[in-house]
Amino acid sequence: MSYRSVNELKVGCVMVVLEEPIKGVIELKNYIDGEWVESEASETRDVVNPATLKTIAKVPVGHREDVKAAVDAAKDAFPRWRRTTPLSRARYLMTLKQLLEENFEELGRVVTMEHGKIIDEARGEVRRGIENVEMATGIPSLMMGYNAEDISRGIDEVLIKQPLGVFACVAPFNFPFMVSLWFMPYAVATGNTYVIKPSPWTPLSTMKLVELIDEAGFPPGVINLVNGEVEPVSEILENPGVKGVSFVGSTKIGRDVIYRNATSHGKRVQAQCSAKNFLVVTPDADVELTVSSLMSSFFGNTGQRCLAGANLVFVGDDQGFMEKTLAVIKERAGAIKIGYGLEEGVQMGPLQAEHRKKRVLGYIESGLEEGATLTMDGREFSCDPYPETCFLGPSIFEGVSLDMTIAREEIFGPVMSVLTAEDLNEAIGMVNSSSYGNAASIFTTNGGTARRFQYDVECGNIGVNIGTAAPMAFFPFSGMKDSFFGDLHGQGKDAVDFFTENKVVIQRWP
Amino acid sequence: MALVLRTTSQIIGHHAELEEKSAEGYGALAERHPEHRDAFNRLADENHRHMARVERAYRLGVTDAFEVGFTPNQLDPGDYALEEFTGESLSEDLDTALRNEETVIRFCLDAAKTSGKLLPDLPDTFDQLVRRKRKRVELLRSLT
Repeated sequence: MSYRSVNELKVGCVMVVLEEPIKGVIELKNYIDGEWVESEASETRDVVNPATLKTIAKVPVGHREDVKAAVDAAKDAFPRWRRTTPLSRARYLMTLKQLLEENFEELGRVVTMEHGKIIDEARGEVRRGIENVEMATGIPSLMMGYNAEDISRGIDEVLIKQPLGVFACVAPFNFPFMVSLWFMPYAVATGNTYVIKPSPWTPLSTMKLVELIDEAGFPPGVINLVNGEVEPVSEILENPGVKGVSFVGSTKIGRDVIYRNATSHGKRVQAQCSAKNFLVVTPDADVELTVSSLMSSFFGNTGQRCLAGANLVFVGDDQGFMEKTLAVIKERAGAIKIGYGLEEGVQMGPLQAEHRKKRVLGYIESGLEEGATLTMDGREFSCDPYPETCFLGPSIFEGVSLDMTIAREEIFGPVMSVLTAEDLNEAIGMVNSSSYGNAASIFTTNGGTARRFQYDVECGNIGVNIGTAAPMAFFPFSGMKDSFFGDLHGQGKDAVDFFTENKVVIQRWP
Repeated sequence: MALVLRTTSQIIGHHAELEEKSAEGYGALAERHPEHRDAFNRLADENHRHMARVERAYRLGVTDAFEVGFTPNQLDPGDYALEEFTGESLSEDLDTALRNEETVIRFCLDAAKTSGKLLPDLPDTFDQLVRRKRKRVELLRSLT
């Protein structure tokens, strides 16, 4: 599928609605040992396009036996795959990368259909997923160990990085295509085999990914896909054949279910969890740059990302600066076009499902009850001609204090809470008072202020004049405190270390 | 609400439309003025290459981490309408072609400015196109 098909390229037509790549209702299967197979579970749930409310797929709820079969296949494939040279493994990934490029546009549109995010954001997600495949193709270098000659006379010591076996990931709904690629390419590049469990809400782009994995010719069992809900996850956590688990989702599930259960079964875990991100603005900030970044950070992806801005903190007593900046923010937020993400001019899509919208509405009610002032009410919006069920406009609360629920808990929707701090010290203290430590940003033209912020703030991903501090594939997606459980993060060298065991050899030859 | 280009995708899409329409125009001129068929066909081919160049820059650089969905300066596509070739002579058609080239150049300049805060590689690509399109203007002038 090209960027725009011929039919879509109509000269003079500005509001282009891109063609939907999914026609009808797809019955999803699992991909185990190189074959597409039915789940052991007979029950299915509907996958619904949140913008149109049309059912686009039926996904099995999943069964423990599905995971057992996938893990068995991955275990069987492991000995041969680890003996496949790193360069050959990288070439499989290069083939996959080529196929992903060829299917780039279709993948982006599938993400929009299952999730609701706008097409620019969906394409951005696909690009960031591909970047991890590219990064993992460097594994012949990335996996090198190190050595020291003559640690004693005639004795050398060598560190070798080796794969461990079968790894699995439990992926979230909000970046359905990208997140499994934070982990899987590194796992298989280092010689492990893999099981992907996508979100049952958004399983279609992962299915497309696995179709391309199959086309790329990976040997059977190296990469497997199991759909489902709770049961497959329980089996992943408990199956002794699984050496490690990667997870992205809420802190409640990540800490209390994934981390605790997986570690109690002796597995490695990297659980990237919830967030409450503060964006701090000083009076010397560039207003235009700042407001553009804030729009994307707070309202991009309809607020459904762990790097989304949540609390906006104005520093200092320059009331005029704050009022001026807020006026621009409100003007821009009020003009956001809401609708179906496949319509090119749309800037904000729906929440991914109706219950997610209800959750956000609950937080808006909570903000009102606790005394914050709702200066932009996202409950009043137009998404014509699409059904309102999952849509919500941008909301802005002013007069927010740190003790309010909306300032402390992750809302995961397009809601901005505005707070004030007397000085930078207080602002940093506010950031650090949060139980979460995923991301924080500062907007300033003062280098000293920026350095002080990045030095003192207890968060894993820091933005300086960047609203969404999303690390590239060659850096770890960091996170601290209640935003991360484990030792090694996804992406970058952290991922290589997570998927390998360091073996030290001390050798003396007589 | 007036139609405006709010997102990166729209800007890229509108650029593609301009290049496509320009290419169609040169295709028609190649038929009407066979003495310059090669030159007009070459210009039409270039239009498609320019379109592909921008799309490639977008595809390779797009990321949801930047403000892809929120352009700071919204462009009005009505400001960049291309004229139809209705002239009765080569001279009149070339005048129209020159005006159209200037319109596309103006769009590329505005798109470069707007996309500067959206995607890092796009402004450079649009600026490169402007340089190439100025050479097209010289070529068209040489045909008169």
